[in-house]
Amino acid sequence: MNCLDYRRARSTGQEETGAMRVHRLGCVLCSDQFREQAAFDDALRRGFEVPVPAEFAGRLLDSLHARDTEAPAWNAGRRRFLAAAAVGAGAVGLGAGLTAWLGRDDPMAMACIQFVMKDEAKSIMMGAMPRDKARAALAASLPLERLDRIGKVMHVGPCPFQGGTAYHVVLMVPQDKVTLLIMPDTRPPVRARARFDGMYASVVPLKKGSVGIVGGSAAVVESVAGALRA
Amino acid sequence: MTTSLFPHDARIGTRPAALTLLKPSFDDLVRAHAGALYRFAYWLARDRQLAEDIVQEALLRGWKALPRLREARAAKSWLFSIVRNEHRRLIVKNGPQHDSIDADTLEIADERPGPFRLEMRDAIMALPVTYAEPLALQVLGGFSCAEIAVMLETSEGAVMTRLTRARQALKRLITPAGAKEQEGGRK
Repeated sequence: MNCLDYRRARSTGQEETGAMRVHRLGCVLCSDQFREQAAFDDALRRGFEVPVPAEFAGRLLDSLHARDTEAPAWNAGRRRFLAAAAVGAGAVGLGAGLTAWLGRDDPMAMACIQFVMKDEAKSIMMGAMPRDKARAALAASLPLERLDRIGKVMHVGPCPFQGGTAYHVVLMVPQDKVTLLIMPDTRPPVRARARFDGMYASVVPLKKGSVGIVGGSAAVVESVAGALRA
Repeated sequence: MTTSLFPHDARIGTRPAALTLLKPSFDDLVRAHAGALYRFAYWLARDRQLAEDIVQEALLRGWKALPRLREARAAKSWLFSIVRNEHRRLIVKNGPQHDSIDADTLEIADERPGPFRLEMRDAIMALPVTYAEPLALQVLGGFSCAEIAVMLETSEGAVMTRLTRARQALKRLITPAGAKEQEGGRK
């Protein structure tokens, strides 16, 4: 150990180790420094010595014991609070579960999205129906004239879907392109929705059958669904 | 009432009585450290009434959390940490009572050149809390740099830096201007 190591260690106020002591006893300058430091440490201890209030420890203990005896009442209150909190948490959990169940992805709507992702191009390549035939085919479930009022019908063609036959319609609306799958023989009891890979689908019951609407945004799909129901 | 340091064991009654006698009770801990805890709280809050409140609340928390204390020899640093946390909780609740400075990035600004000489207590009061805190733990609690680092959740090197700077600042503050000049002349 040298003078620098000794003074660096002492500068933090650490106690002297054996090695430090050996160095100090053989070094006049570090012995002087040690004396100065010791005087400073004494002054420091006195500086930190704030008078402690009389009977402070006793008062603290009295206070602790008093609170300890109050504990049962406090615990009863706490138990009531915890019971209420548990009931509240249960209700919130039930509500969240119900919301999640209602908002779950519907298999039919999900199948519509999968159709767009995998089979739409193939369906278009298979060819479109002549307009007269399309009008006749869709008349019972979703008249072609109603689609014409919403947007520009780009394609109508039959396609296999979910074990039956559906009519694949590509509709250009002012906001975006949407795909409709008109299913004359399938009618879900309630409206169903799904979201997957940036696509959104909504299956809307019709008077006869149903229509699956698939688009890139929920807003566009819902606006088309609203227009179809109107 | 003397409270065992491990009340959960005592309640269950599985610990031999001889062992109970070897361990200090919570009451003994309070009696042994109340003064140092009060002084530590005072130097954190710089207010006597606040210091009393902090220690009282800290000990209550300590009493409730006692079953979680595994080692009896760590009880002292544990109590100091609870006092520190209680003070921080108070700051969060009521807002800071004094400036908080990042000690590792700033030099001590309060050099106060002039003919006057501060008493040590006033000089400590002039220290930013980031310097006063480790110094108080060292002087009042007798903790090593490593122990202080654990309590302050920082590195040992950072604690050593803060302690050195705090001591340098205090020396500057309590040394009369004339003595400073003489010191400079000697160099």
